[in-house]
Amino acid sequence: MQQGLTETTAASRGKGRPRVAETAAPSLVELLNLIRADDPTTRQELERKSELGRAVVADRLTMLADLGLIDESETGLATGGRAPRLVRLVARRGRLLVATLDQTALGVGVADLAGNLLTEHHEEFELTAPPQALAERLTTLLRWSLERQTSPAGLWGISLSVPGTVPGTEGDFLTKTPPALPAWEGFPLVEMLTRSFGVPIWMRSSVDMMTMGELHAGAAKGLSSMLFVKVGRRIGAGIVSEGRLYRGALGATGLIGAIPVNSGDRTGTLDALAGSDMILREGRLAAESGRSPVLADQLHRGGEITAIDVAQAAQMGDEAGAEILTTSGRLIGQVVATLTNTLNPEVIVLSGSIVQTNDIILAAVREAVYGAGHPLVTRDLRIIRSQMGSSAGLVGAARVGAELLFAPTFLKEWVMQGSPLLHPGFVAFRAGLESTPSPPVPVPPPRRGVP
Amino acid sequence: MTISGLGPHGERAAPPERVTLLPEDRAAAKARSFRVAVVMHTLDSDWASQQLSGMMGRLGDCGTAVTHVIDCAFSPFAQVEALDRLLSLKPDAVISLPVANEEVAFAHARLTDAGIKLVLLDNVPTGLLPGKHYGTLVSADNFGLGKIAAEGLSPYLPQGAEVGLLGYAADFFATNERELAFTKWMRAHRPDVSIRQDAFGRIDESARRTEVMLTAHPNLAGLFVVWDTPALKAAEILRGMPRQIPIATVDLGEEVAIGLAQGTPFAIVAAQQPYLQGVAAAQTTILTLLGRPTPAWIALPGIAVTRSNVVESYQRIWRKPAPQSVLQAVGLIR
Repeated sequence: MQQGLTETTAASRGKGRPRVAETAAPSLVELLNLIRADDPTTRQELERKSELGRAVVADRLTMLADLGLIDESETGLATGGRAPRLVRLVARRGRLLVATLDQTALGVGVADLAGNLLTEHHEEFELTAPPQALAERLTTLLRWSLERQTSPAGLWGISLSVPGTVPGTEGDFLTKTPPALPAWEGFPLVEMLTRSFGVPIWMRSSVDMMTMGELHAGAAKGLSSMLFVKVGRRIGAGIVSEGRLYRGALGATGLIGAIPVNSGDRTGTLDALAGSDMILREGRLAAESGRSPVLADQLHRGGEITAIDVAQAAQMGDEAGAEILTTSGRLIGQVVATLTNTLNPEVIVLSGSIVQTNDIILAAVREAVYGAGHPLVTRDLRIIRSQMGSSAGLVGAARVGAELLFAPTFLKEWVMQGSPLLHPGFVAFRAGLESTPSPPVPVPPPRRGVP
Repeated sequence: MTISGLGPHGERAAPPERVTLLPEDRAAAKARSFRVAVVMHTLDSDWASQQLSGMMGRLGDCGTAVTHVIDCAFSPFAQVEALDRLLSLKPDAVISLPVANEEVAFAHARLTDAGIKLVLLDNVPTGLLPGKHYGTLVSADNFGLGKIAAEGLSPYLPQGAEVGLLGYAADFFATNERELAFTKWMRAHRPDVSIRQDAFGRIDESARRTEVMLTAHPNLAGLFVVWDTPALKAAEILRGMPRQIPIATVDLGEEVAIGLAQGTPFAIVAAQQPYLQGVAAAQTTILTLLGRPTPAWIALPGIAVTRSNVVESYQRIWRKPAPQSVLQAVGLIR
């Protein structure tokens, strides 16, 4: 349909003028992204913002509607005269699969093209497991998520949140697995997922993804500046400035866990002196020495003690547990206070299982930041705990996936075909994968339904 | 307490002890005479009755009136209508079990927007956040229930066997977790076993889906059904078959307990603790109404019930003596 439309339009124009197929892509990209940014909008608004003529806008919107990417069936409020037609992105035209790979958990979900999460599931998974086991479980869960969807919309991409820095260029899809984790060195996760699902793969650090999630659906929705801090085995920060995630030169921003701090007579990195490994170690010592009756009882009954247990014991009034978490919170607060004075955010969002299990780290960080912050910086500052939990990573992955799918450099190559799966570069990449020997592929999961 | 699963947003579970009521909490609640409405997926199950029983008792202890108990009959439409009606009636809090995902999400969020406190049972529609759209989710450890079922059914499955999994087609947190945990456990511990899956959209379809599954896979050596009411329908179908196979399911309803005691067709039941879950939901509601912080997810562990512990499990779960037929079947009375 799209090809026919292009040729018909081109044939009606004068000799010597370029064919629509050659000139339409940039304006289609521009209009589609204006529609995405201001959903829903009107033709008049699009003409004003794009500075394209009425006929060109009408022609491109017809093309986008024929490709199934936009819908104009609704009308808006009339401001005198006929009510304008509303132009919307058809967010259900395609689907994105999203996943978060955390140190101790795996999350999967399905999102629409607007980056809205439609379904999600989280389960425990130790990232120290062999990468093959991770790839198998991830593939199983992604397929399961997709099969739960009753909509016929096809899969258009997979966006992954991983606990490591991912250098990358906007608009690219991955053609090899970045070394985000030492265990992945040489393991072809991206290649395996592309083979299995036949769609572009994107990947970003979990801190970046969670920051995006909080920015678009969480505590920072509608704000232009935020400092996001994730506390786990590693402690990382995400920075939002002027409504956008700041990624630095190599996508390696916010590595605050590497900052040296002092705790008593010890000097070490923030990760080492305030992260969950410290909380676990000190919790075990408190249990073994009997300083923490709650944890000692748990140990006595043969139970494993985790950092979460220490946090839960503290929340339930265990003094030793509270002391450990206060130490962690104060150290994190010192570093966050410095960043706060530098960045002047509207809100600081603390996240991670340990922060979400108790109020003590939040209280300690607040004390440190309000104590050390410049009065102007702290005057309207809010310091809160994330309400999204691990969903922030999935929502962020959905938003990042949608943004990269429609990034101008990528979109202009597929918009005329109507699907990113027909992007010439991606078609060539898949063909290359097919012609090379296949690595061991995870065992496919059982299909829903009886044949 | 061992909880295997993670919450709907990846949360770690908090134990029900986190919402223990102190005497001063009860006194404060009594002084304020709260009004609460309860919106259930169904009232037509032992599980729902026990859950309500736990809730009513504890809310009554706190001088809190339950003004409405609504049966949505698993219908998202009925639930949206019920929630919208409650909006105008303005109870202080609503305890609701969302019967679907997207279809009922906004109706629940609207309650919170109107200043009505919301405590959820068993399911959180995607997009709703704790502290923003609802206070707390109270549920069983559904992932753990799926694991218990798989582990309990495994000894009945010979090497290289096929096992059936009859799931629920709706996008529902609790049943999703059970299904995923069952398949995960089998893959990890019984990689020789092949899983054949099917799903029912409504309970009255479960018998038909069982028939379809058994016809397509006549060699099934066992069956897992994600809760007891459809499992009973599956059991009816199996009774008419020449070959009997063991069933694993979730929830120890009375008929399931009898089947378990008789040794057929139920081999293992992963039981929730609905009475205690009802108590936890009521306590969470009271604390929420008093403005006290509550955790995002409170989970109660499941109980593995077999013929050998069916009597005491029945008493523990349902807070009443096991039926005579159960006691007879295990030889405790004649």
